Amino acid sequence: MEVDREDGRSQNQLRPLACSRNILHRAHGSASWSQGDTKVLAAVYGPKAGTKKNENPEKACIEVIWKPKTGQIGKPEKEYEMILKRTLESICILTVNPNTTTSIIVQVVNDDGALLPSAINAACMALVDAGIPMKHLAVAICCCLAKSGYVILDPTKLEEQKMKAFAYLVFPNSVRSVLPEGSLRVEGEPIENGIITSVTHGIMSVADYFYCLERGRAASVKLSDFLRRNLQQQSTDSSKAG
Amino acid sequence: MDARLANTWRLTLNEKNFIKTALLSEIRIDGRKPFEFRNISINFGREDGSAEVQLGQTRVMGIVTAKFVQPYRDRPNEGTLTIYPEFSPMADPSFEAGRSGESAVELGQIIDRGLRESRAVDTESLCIVAGKLVWAIRIDILILDNGGNLVDAANIAALAALMTFRTPECSLGGEDGQEVIIHPPEMRDPLPLILHHLPIAITFGFFIDENVVVIDPIHNEEAVMAGRMIATVNANGDICAIQKAGEGVSQRVIMQCLQLAITKAADITKQIKAAVEAYNSERALQKIKRETTCVGNSVKGDQNQTLDNKGISELVGKYMERLKLISVESYASKILMLRKSNH
Repeated sequence: MEVDREDGRSQNQLRPLACSRNILHRAHGSASWSQGDTKVLAAVYGPKAGTKKNENPEKACIEVIWKPKTGQIGKPEKEYEMILKRTLESICILTVNPNTTTSIIVQVVNDDGALLPSAINAACMALVDAGIPMKHLAVAICCCLAKSGYVILDPTKLEEQKMKAFAYLVFPNSVRSVLPEGSLRVEGEPIENGIITSVTHGIMSVADYFYCLERGRAASVKLSDFLRRNLQQQSTDSSKAG
Repeated sequence: MDARLANTWRLTLNEKNFIKTALLSEIRIDGRKPFEFRNISINFGREDGSAEVQLGQTRVMGIVTAKFVQPYRDRPNEGTLTIYPEFSPMADPSFEAGRSGESAVELGQIIDRGLRESRAVDTESLCIVAGKLVWAIRIDILILDNGGNLVDAANIAALAALMTFRTPECSLGGEDGQEVIIHPPEMRDPLPLILHHLPIAITFGFFIDENVVVIDPIHNEEAVMAGRMIATVNANGDICAIQKAGEGVSQRVIMQCLQLAITKAADITKQIKAAVEAYNSERALQKIKRETTCVGNSVKGDQNQTLDNKGISELVGKYMERLKLISVESYASKILMLRKSNH
């Protein structure tokens, strides 16, 4: 089914991606991620001594601060913080540095749709830049469901507002390893088939949701490739002082 | 919390002594001369009224937004201008999220004095209906990276954002001449703000020895300096505001600093104007492209994932116009509500 999107992309086409790491000087790790017009800046400080009151001191703790572009911090920002925190807690190896806090600060520079997935991608790259130990990367994508039943990926803000439902999906990145095939499987399935986070808005049927998952998984392979190329290129960085 | 104190960054005594000793021989640790400003680079965002300034390692973003409010009773013909500084925890490990510290409040006050009290921004032109409806301009200043001298960088960011900000054109009309019509950007060009002059803040750092003065201190020097003076001047030689704190300094030194500030302000003003010019001509070009392609437009569905730069800026322009249309429609509904409340 051919779909006409306003900017001429096809159903499964992502917007142009751009990512740069190590852009801030005081932060231990930083990254800027842009998908089309949506741009997010993430900075990481850590690990710092001590955990917060209600956190488990036997593990490392992750603290997320979400800063919107303008205006006060309200409930949507708190929700984003919580989702980011849970996603990043599941990809970081929390047992390496117990009783420490790693802070991740996300700043929205421009919001043109798919804001939370961009933030998750930016936060992941910032963690890599800071050298925080992780099991694998998180690759986030937004899938929208229109009234007529077709699914589009990576919507702009206008498209998001017109859609019946949309889902933010986070997958582990695709694995390229020298180990034998079978050893990296979890319960018989390859790692990249798993889902780390899924947030949905609006009503969709179960079949539609699984279709979104399929499309999202296929797109996450493309995103993983982009991440891999980006990380390999920027492997020679100037050292940070102070 | 003790843990938080353990995380704050502190200079060692050796580093502090090194900085002070080097300054006695007029050597700064980043290689600049005492009265040399760092490189300033100004970049603009997608929307009007958003600017990012990089002053050496310091990075500050200024965002200007506007909305309709009722004016203050004692100033029924004037719009309002408020500054919201945000010391984001990403800029410095000692900045905390939530309530900003006193340095954030001080920064906001200094920029406010420079912009509003010196009448740099013309607030009377922000009035739409006297006594009932005016524009309230809000400037958000986001500190992204603290490499020292936040006030100067924030001031430049605020100015650059103000110079590129546009409000939709409003006119009075309707049956009784009381209805406010907001023209969408496609019909009539949005209007820039009127700025009478550009107040530039210049920061000086004083050290224990009276003869040691530096301009544009970095964060290491800020931790060592004994006194500080921020002079907000403009290129015409007017002093808009002065803020001095710390150790006492002789009058001669202060006068020298003010003279120097005026020279530096002229340079910085030129730089800001050049950057804004470049942005405006780029914007005009995009508008021309948009208008020629909007007629008989049929978007093709077989473009590659990587569009070239021109293609992206064209498409970007189309989004922005449509987004503005949606936000302007919500303005229009607010106006209708205002009318109803007047009856």
